Amino acid sequence: MRALHGTTTAAILGLAFTSLVPAMAQTPPPDVIDPAPTAADWAALGKLPDWSGTWFPDITDQDKQITTNPVPWKPEVQPQVAFWDKEEKEGRPRGLLLNCLPHGMPSLILITHNANEFLFTPGRVTLLGESDGNRLRRIYTDGRKLPDDPDPNFHGTSVGHWEGDTLVVETRGILPQVFLAISEAVGVPLGEGAVVHERIHLIAPDTLAHDLVIEAPAILTRPWETRRIYYRNRKRSYDIVEGVCRQGDFEEGTDKWGNKIYVPTHQQDGNILPPPAK
Amino acid sequence: MIRKTLIAALVALSAAGVAQAHHSFAMFDPAKVVTLQGRVKEYRWVNPHVALLLDVTAPGNAGGVWAVELTSPGNLTRLGWSRKSLKVGDRVAVEVNPLRDGQHGGGFRKLTLLDTGQVLQARLIDIEKNAAGGH
Repeated sequence: MRALHGTTTAAILGLAFTSLVPAMAQTPPPDVIDPAPTAADWAALGKLPDWSGTWFPDITDQDKQITTNPVPWKPEVQPQVAFWDKEEKEGRPRGLLLNCLPHGMPSLILITHNANEFLFTPGRVTLLGESDGNRLRRIYTDGRKLPDDPDPNFHGTSVGHWEGDTLVVETRGILPQVFLAISEAVGVPLGEGAVVHERIHLIAPDTLAHDLVIEAPAILTRPWETRRIYYRNRKRSYDIVEGVCRQGDFEEGTDKWGNKIYVPTHQQDGNILPPPAK
Repeated sequence: MIRKTLIAALVALSAAGVAQAHHSFAMFDPAKVVTLQGRVKEYRWVNPHVALLLDVTAPGNAGGVWAVELTSPGNLTRLGWSRKSLKVGDRVAVEVNPLRDGQHGGGFRKLTLLDTGQVLQARLIDIEKNAAGGH
């Protein structure tokens, strides 16, 4: 009896669930389970080019690229760029990154003044940037396709594959609010539909080139091809260190129990200022 | 022509030299250099900008507390700095590009520890050059 009762309940629940199905938007895609990497998968990493060490951007060349290979802004976007450029030149820079949201792609590669590093694991290349915990890109190299409609995020969704010693990466699904930045004070939100193509490869034993093709149809007249250079250093002083963007918004203080705490610091537009006179 | 190219190169180098992580330093006036003499009041070894608060002993408006911004701890480490490079009370002379709006803030250029004569610099171009040198 108890068994029959259970069966009846299950049947009713089943009917109820079935009747709910048409109301659901769509069936989620199958959740693929990745196989555990094998010893051969780990060994295969040894055949990839050596990108170990810390990579520091060529900042001088970043600036040079902007003047020698300018961004093909749409005519209607150009006045915005001119406005922010003038604001910076006149000493009123807009702080694109002051809110401590990530640079996002492709600005992380284009304008960073901080080092980054690569981690190779089976099926994935991970890029970690210094100075913010949020400078993190996962580039899947396990053969998966880009999803049709990835949830937008700051660094987009990236898949890559190796062509010889070159990592070829495609990135889509970047939030339209992410800036296409040419400096920390001048940039325009990417808008919808941006795609970033990268070919990352060594051009000298300790020089890495990111060759980028940036499609941003909302703001560019054509895809922008540009290169960013990074130099390797293996000194331990170049090891990536932790960086928490908002830490600078606080100073050390003490609560009423004597615990060490952080309290907001005095600042204006991202500049630390002396405490106001009492 | 060569002279023009050389000047352009120097300008580019100096721009990279003062460029900092995270925000433009255009709010500081690169055409003005002020030397602040005083004592270290606070030395904050934090991201994204290390900050130095100085008790400046200059007379008149320049006296009082000044806040000076530097690059990140990671970048300063590569230039030989550490969180122990300065301590509260150190007598220093600090060259800064002051805030354009007249407030007591500045972008760091160079520091001299007056008791030892040691000079500390923080130019990103030097890190870039070291990195380009490799290894």
